[in-house]
Amino acid sequence: MRRLAPWLCAFAALFAAGTMAEHAWRGVRPHIPEIGRKELEPTLGQGVLLGILGGLRTVVADLTWIRSYVLWERRDRAGCEALMRAACALDPHSRYFWENAGYAVGFDLAHWEIRRRGGYAKVPAETQERLFHAYARRGIEILEEGRRHAKTTTPLLLCAAQLAEIKLKDHRLAASYYQTAAEAPDAPWYAARICAQTLWEDGRREEAYRWLRQYWLTRMLPKEDGFPDDLQRLRTMEQVLGVKPELRIPRQAWER
Amino acid sequence: MSSAISVRHLTKDFRVGLRGLKLRAVDDLSLEIPRGQVYGLLGPNGCGKSTTLKIVLGLVSATAGEVSILGCPSATPEARRRTGFLPEAPYFHKFLTGRELVRYCAQLSGVASADVAAAVEDALGLAAMTEAADRPIGTYSKGMLQRIGFAQAVVHDPELVILDEPTAGVDPVGSAAIGRMIHAMRAKGKTIVLCSHLLGQVEQVCDRVAIMDRGKLVLEGRVDDVLSRRDRHVLTVEAMTPTAREAAEAALAAHGAVVTSVTHPRRSLEDLFRELVTGSRDA
Amino acid sequence: MNPMKASFQRVSWIARVTFLEAVRQRFFAFLLILGAAMALSSVSFRVLDFGHGELKFIADFGFGGMFLFGSVLAVVMTAQLFFSEMDNKTALTLLAKPLGRGEFLLGKFAGAWAVLGVFVAVLSVLLGVVLWAREQELLLLSEQSGKVPPTFSASGLAQFALLQWLRLGVVASIVLAISAVARTFLYAVVVGALAVVAGQLQWIAQDAVLKPSESPAYEAVLWLTSRLLPNLQQFNIGDALVLSSAGVESGAVWAVTLAGAAYMAAYVFLGALLFKRREI
Repeated sequence: MRRLAPWLCAFAALFAAGTMAEHAWRGVRPHIPEIGRKELEPTLGQGVLLGILGGLRTVVADLTWIRSYVLWERRDRAGCEALMRAACALDPHSRYFWENAGYAVGFDLAHWEIRRRGGYAKVPAETQERLFHAYARRGIEILEEGRRHAKTTTPLLLCAAQLAEIKLKDHRLAASYYQTAAEAPDAPWYAARICAQTLWEDGRREEAYRWLRQYWLTRMLPKEDGFPDDLQRLRTMEQVLGVKPELRIPRQAWER
Repeated sequence: MSSAISVRHLTKDFRVGLRGLKLRAVDDLSLEIPRGQVYGLLGPNGCGKSTTLKIVLGLVSATAGEVSILGCPSATPEARRRTGFLPEAPYFHKFLTGRELVRYCAQLSGVASADVAAAVEDALGLAAMTEAADRPIGTYSKGMLQRIGFAQAVVHDPELVILDEPTAGVDPVGSAAIGRMIHAMRAKGKTIVLCSHLLGQVEQVCDRVAIMDRGKLVLEGRVDDVLSRRDRHVLTVEAMTPTAREAAEAALAAHGAVVTSVTHPRRSLEDLFRELVTGSRDA
Repeated sequence: MNPMKASFQRVSWIARVTFLEAVRQRFFAFLLILGAAMALSSVSFRVLDFGHGELKFIADFGFGGMFLFGSVLAVVMTAQLFFSEMDNKTALTLLAKPLGRGEFLLGKFAGAWAVLGVFVAVLSVLLGVVLWAREQELLLLSEQSGKVPPTFSASGLAQFALLQWLRLGVVASIVLAISAVARTFLYAVVVGALAVVAGQLQWIAQDAVLKPSESPAYEAVLWLTSRLLPNLQQFNIGDALVLSSAGVESGAVWAVTLAGAAYMAAYVFLGALLFKRREI
């Protein structure tokens, strides 16, 4: 037993260190979102291993993205999607990868699949619609995941809104994305306008007017030119909805 | 008083190859090396003398048997504190100077900080390396390496010094210098264990020898005793004429002695070499 | 003299000579130059930046250099420092002195770790200078464009540098333990490199341990395997420490530091035990 004692001490020290490491891992795991992602598994043999191990993740992500473009040129649906998802996984804080992966998957892949099946003339319209829906949903999934990790999310929201509007033809979903995007501090000017338009087309006219009115008064009016085009749109809404004059937006001095 | 080194029934087996075949390097060796003497350990290559020395120094563990140094079990730091060792073909860090190396070894050997400087200078002086001490070891010749190795072995004033092939590859002048160092150590009462293939030097320097072969002790004793032929005598005569020779042989024959040969004495090539080559080419 | 103090002194002398030997090696200078070149050239490679944030791209180059070249240095140099003593038989001379085997191994480790500290410090300073210079340029540009400029945290970079030094120390201690039983330098390097890769992938076992399982046998195996090798991924929090405004909780950083130090100590101790049995 005396001869074994030092060895037992050594292994006890290892196990104690391991227990401390397990506790430490719980604390730092959320700060390393790049690892443990299923998206990396199909691409391990493609040089992504170095990024997983911990070195040069950004560079490996960039090179992976560049390679995905090569596959995009070849219309390699599975390979292109896998590499794009791998690039997102390797550098999850990069808005660029999530946004463009969402665009490519949501807008392009369905068309490649239709062409693979024989073309637009051969594939039935219902099947085409089903494919557009399926890939648009996959694109939106990618964008939703990107929102959890990327530092800036407004472009991702706008991309998701476009997919919902154009491919899914779901104005309600599109409106919710546009609305969230428009309320972000870095929202582009057109987001609010399209949000209101989408709500209007979804049949929620009063809601569209109320929302755009509130947005215009708090965020647009204080700006330099007061966004006269959006005010014009509001006037049109007021007319269509028959809003009483005393309840309408007061006439502005610069209004034509 | 205990022996300098006491070896009792020492056996060492090495496991060789995948099947773990036993190779017996030392076979039931028992040896007592007395204090204050120069002791030669001899034997052909592979006889087990280096393995024996490594076990004495605690570098290799024994399969069976006991080894003690100056009364302490050999594989302890206490025993090694009183021992100095110069390995065969010593190699030291080339970027260190001789003085830095000896200082480093003094510190590792437990010399007190206040005494390190003096101990280093004494060791360098004993090894005749004071002048070259501030040069990097990488610039040293073979003989200088051996001498600086000797200095690092004795810097902490050990009671026992073990030298493994100290003159291997060294010229006769250098060898003689090392021989003088050994004598100087003995004069101080140190015990020196010398492992060497140079039998001429062993014969000159050592008080006692042990000869090993195939892991066993074959012969052990005082040099004079093991080498002397007590049944014969040598007379050295100067200016002997043929007439004087005949008379001497007749006188010896009258007493029953037989003259078996008459030859001229020879000096050794080593002595001649030393006479002709002045000083050392090393410094 | 106090035995502990004497032992500490012996260890420090071995460490000092080991350090001097290591910094003289061309291999060390080569890797240092490569890592420095990587950090300095990151500014030129900005064209590859797909909008990550320029500072993140530059930082990643520096982190990658520390990870890649630091790992190579830790494995190869540590093994070489050990085997040079064995092959040249300088270990024979040293271990014949009143120097314990554990002291010898600890001294070799301390010397190697000190060299790795120099490596990490130099690369960190270079990376910090590059990041700071670019940060100032971006600050000027953002003032003109009205955008929010990216920033980096110098204290975060210092923390990250310390964590990388600790990670390399863990790697060096593992390599030394392997070297204590290995017969050849090549074997030690290959197994050491595999251990580093396994350590970088150890997060898989640790993630699995954190998830509940119905099989006690599976849990027991996971528990064992997740502890024998350190999880080296937990040191890769450079992005969060240096570039994130939120940073990392100090408690988590301390936990990683203590776990790393514990692994280092455990492997050095294991290496000393293995080295005690080695015949020189």
